[in-house]
Amino acid sequence: MKSRLTCITAAVLLLQPLAPQYRTALPGYHYQFPRDHFNHPDFQTEWWYYTGNLKWAHDRRFGFELTFFRQAVSRDPAKVATWQVQDLYLAHLALSDLDGGKFYHAERTNRSGPGIAAVSESLGRIWNGNWQIQWHGSDQELKAVDERFQLHLTLHSEKPPVIHGENGASQKAEGAGRASHYVSLTRLATSGVIDLGDKKIEVRGTSWMDHEFFTDQLEPEQTGWDWLSLQLEDYTELMLFHIRRKDGSIDPHAAGTYVDRDGKTTHLRSSDFKLQPTGEKWTSPTTGAEYPIHWKIVIPKLGIELEAKTPLESQELTGKTKLAPNYWEGAIVLTGHRNARSLGGAGYLEMTGYDRPVRLAP
Amino acid sequence: MPLFVLFYRLMVRPLFREPVRTLLTILAIALGVAVVLAIDLAGSAATGSFRSSMETLAGESDLEVVTSGGVPENVVGTLATLPYSIRVSPRIEDYGVIVDTKKALPLIGLDLVAEGSAYAQSETQKTAESQTQDDSEHVFEHLGDADSIWVGSSVGYKTGRRVELLINDQVRKYTVRGVYPDSHGNESAIVMDLAAAQNALCRYGRVDRILLKVPGTPGLEDWQQRLRTVLPAGVEVRPQGTGTNENRRMLAAFGWNLRLLSYISLVVGAFLIYNTISVSVVRRRPEIGIVRALGASRGVILSAFVGEAVCFGLAGALIGLPLGRLMATGAVRLMAATVESLYVSSRPGTIELNAESVLLALVIGVGVAVASSYSPAREGSQVSPVEAMARGRREYDVRVHKARDLWLALALGLAAAVASRAPAVAGKPFLGYLAAILLVAAAALAMPAFVDALTSVSSKLLGKLFGVEAMLASRSLAASLRRTSVLVGALSTAIAMMTAVGIMVGSFRQTVVLWMSDQLPADLYLRPAGSAAADRHPTLSSGLAEELARLPGVAAVERLRAYEISYQDMPATLASADLNVLRSYHHSDFFSGRPKAQVLAELRDSNAVIVSEPFTYKHHLKTGDSITLSLGETQASFLITDVYYDYSSERGSTAPSNLAIYVSPGAQLDVVRAEIEKATADRRVLLFSNRDLRSEAIRIFDRTFAITYALEAVAVLVAVMGIAGALLALVIDRRRELGLLHFLGAATGQVRKLIRVEAGLLGLLANFAGLALGFALSLILIYVINKQSFGWTIRFHWPVEVLLGALTVVYGATVLAGLYPAKVAVHLNPLEVVHEE
Repeated sequence: MKSRLTCITAAVLLLQPLAPQYRTALPGYHYQFPRDHFNHPDFQTEWWYYTGNLKWAHDRRFGFELTFFRQAVSRDPAKVATWQVQDLYLAHLALSDLDGGKFYHAERTNRSGPGIAAVSESLGRIWNGNWQIQWHGSDQELKAVDERFQLHLTLHSEKPPVIHGENGASQKAEGAGRASHYVSLTRLATSGVIDLGDKKIEVRGTSWMDHEFFTDQLEPEQTGWDWLSLQLEDYTELMLFHIRRKDGSIDPHAAGTYVDRDGKTTHLRSSDFKLQPTGEKWTSPTTGAEYPIHWKIVIPKLGIELEAKTPLESQELTGKTKLAPNYWEGAIVLTGHRNARSLGGAGYLEMTGYDRPVRLAP
Repeated sequence: MPLFVLFYRLMVRPLFREPVRTLLTILAIALGVAVVLAIDLAGSAATGSFRSSMETLAGESDLEVVTSGGVPENVVGTLATLPYSIRVSPRIEDYGVIVDTKKALPLIGLDLVAEGSAYAQSETQKTAESQTQDDSEHVFEHLGDADSIWVGSSVGYKTGRRVELLINDQVRKYTVRGVYPDSHGNESAIVMDLAAAQNALCRYGRVDRILLKVPGTPGLEDWQQRLRTVLPAGVEVRPQGTGTNENRRMLAAFGWNLRLLSYISLVVGAFLIYNTISVSVVRRRPEIGIVRALGASRGVILSAFVGEAVCFGLAGALIGLPLGRLMATGAVRLMAATVESLYVSSRPGTIELNAESVLLALVIGVGVAVASSYSPAREGSQVSPVEAMARGRREYDVRVHKARDLWLALALGLAAAVASRAPAVAGKPFLGYLAAILLVAAAALAMPAFVDALTSVSSKLLGKLFGVEAMLASRSLAASLRRTSVLVGALSTAIAMMTAVGIMVGSFRQTVVLWMSDQLPADLYLRPAGSAAADRHPTLSSGLAEELARLPGVAAVERLRAYEISYQDMPATLASADLNVLRSYHHSDFFSGRPKAQVLAELRDSNAVIVSEPFTYKHHLKTGDSITLSLGETQASFLITDVYYDYSSERGSTAPSNLAIYVSPGAQLDVVRAEIEKATADRRVLLFSNRDLRSEAIRIFDRTFAITYALEAVAVLVAVMGIAGALLALVIDRRRELGLLHFLGAATGQVRKLIRVEAGLLGLLANFAGLALGFALSLILIYVINKQSFGWTIRFHWPVEVLLGALTVVYGATVLAGLYPAKVAVHLNPLEVVHEE
């Protein structure tokens, strides 16, 4: 459940009447890996989402985010010339220098064109210009070039893919098809180099990959959401989200997934957990949005109580145009306990729809 | 302070006493200054600030990736995925014509998906906050539509407007989806998404240019090196706007030649100032004598006369400034037309009268005035007081060293001959110009001898033919040899320039006419209706040629395709033609004089080319050399099998992008034409008969040289004005003599006749001298200057009618210029005049 707003806004603008051409996410989908790590052109929207907490040997912490979005625009068989826009490929890249107090982010939009952006199973590659993921067996190589920094990381998955939701579908709202197919790699051992200006910084850490594909999953009453990925010190992981409605209430289709040490998953319904802001807010100087940057997480049936705080308040991604929504996506630090034992961790938090309601309908 | 009073009394007062003459002199300077200024201003507007209209919306790109015929589009993918922070902007570039207004605009296909957001951004800054969101989203909303266009604000269309565009030979309907501000170097253009542009131009698989913005480090050269390694052979990476620079370099030569032409008026003006000052020195001899006797030094006299010249120069420059600004408007139009039809599509910039041009006008006006006044002023200062003050003495005659000057003239003429043999310096025919200047100087020096010889012959003859008045006129001209020479020199220089340029342009025109009869053998020609120019080759739908070839009465259809290419950093046109048709119907002139069939047979070899003569001249090539051209992904080498004459454009075009249609023998041209018109009814094409095409070409030719004609006309006008002023001076100067004539019983009509014959004689002398000098100059223009700066070989031709017409007009003008002085002479009071005696 990631920054889908970007795509959805574009979807609404570009392709009003086309939704029926696309498949919707329904329970019973049969996953096949590595095939399902790649493209699903039958579905209108798809994204690949990499976040991670990294550390330099000298104890300097970094967070990064690299996302690839694909938004189908046309499946008109007459429009197949190279430059015809079949899909819009959007991408976001961010680097959080958590101890340096700096946040860099960039965005790009492309069409596939003559190999500018695409997802190719045969090449084992997902790319948008020179931001790319290259699969090598079960490892992934992440490369991204920005004028201010470069990332070159190797991601090794220590657990099998996690399929969220129930029966292969992660329900987001009431009704058949208001769902996504949602896969994560929740523990990616990461090492590589961050090239920051003229400094090459060797880093290690843990990353998380989300991959979702769906068609038209939200409903107009839903205005924004909060999402967290948590990588705990006891080698377990948690994914939690809830969707806020126009009236300020939380949609009952909140959910989560718990991944144990061995990679076994437990689906969490909204009644299984509490996800609450403490009231501490950060006001964005750019958009004026007030983001709750301090959260309390309680999962009674797992005996987990955690607090999520960020070492860097300013991790808002703002677009140059209003095409993509502005959102907060940043590295977080977790403290708390499981049953009686104290438990820490790190993760990523995403908050959308705080500067203005996300426009979900034309 | 006394110096100022002196200056006022000695110099300024006399000026007011003869307002007409003063005014004429100032006007002559003003015109000269105005012309130079106009050409300078128009030059920087039309060529100096030249920026190809294709550079619009180029942003801050550093490099461009190009190749002839278009860059394969997969190069875009290659560049976009390189691990460098490079902004990659592929472009499809062509021209479209707005059907309603017939305005041709650059048509630019951009990747609006990638650049659209930044692109919409520029607009949002201008619009109200409430609209911001809509505008930026609009770019994306209609991206997929093949009929979406965005236009520059100066086109004057609003969002939502339906527009018909003529692109190549078809009209399509489009909808304006947005307007971008086209200030800040972004010219108005029609912008489309790449997909729509490809569709409109049927240009698939290639883009015309890829612009790159690279990081500041390392340097551009290093980036070029680095990028070359990933590009296919034949695809070139070069600094962005290189094409513009190539064109700019070419335009610089053009501007330089025009500027020199504009200095002709100034040279003529200089003669006239010289004349005016020397007359005023002679006339104020008594005053000079008095002030010298009262203690004024020679330096004072000298500086007084130079000061007078400065006043003339200043006044002339001040009048010349606004006049030049006014003339520049017209000049820009003419120049832009020339640039467009000969060189490159561009839009002239604005005319800016800045401090620099004001300075130029002042320097030129004052400089020329001072330079040409120095010699007579010095002479004035040399006058001894006693001699000057002696009343009743005959006016001091200016000494003339006829023989010495003639020798000098000969020496200069020889030097001119030598200079004309020298090769070009740095691509510019400096020595050719030197030869021309030397010739003009030689002519000026030879003038006294010429006038003396001619008047002594003519006086008897004239006396017999037109009576005693004519004889007197001739003799009086001979008597004041110095002044007559200067006058004849001024007028004849103007006439010579006119003749020379007239002969050159006329020869050129005739050569083009001859060339066309060789090069345009087909009966009908077809081209897209869009406006073509030297660097624009709108294309016809493929398949049209075959379609037309099948029509009854059509014997053959020749297809010609032209591309813009770059060879050794200079633009050139590459053309390909149907060899079979070429063989059977053309009768081209090849340099080697070999039969056409043989040359064309060699051309069938895949690596053989023929090139035009200007091309060889520009790149120092000859038959048998080989050239390497970047074509698509490859670098191909070709052997030059022959060179042919070409006058279509100085870049060395090998053919237009047209269809040439040959009508079968026996078929009715009109019938076939109607058939073709019917077959192409759904396309926007222009069908020319052979004759139409020729007259169209000549029309463009004449338009191209319109500015040359205009410059000449101004030079002649200056000269005629000078004649009027000088004759007036002559009359006033000789009032005693004229008064005496009256006194001795000369009738009013006789005096009038005397002056008119003098004017006519002056005109005749100037015409003779000018024609001779003009002929010599035209040889230098045609065989030296033109050849060295443009590479054309022009066959010499006397444009008899044009020259006769022009010379008659000039002669008429000279005679008319004598009317006013004659009137003044008649009204002199003989008593008063003789009283002085």
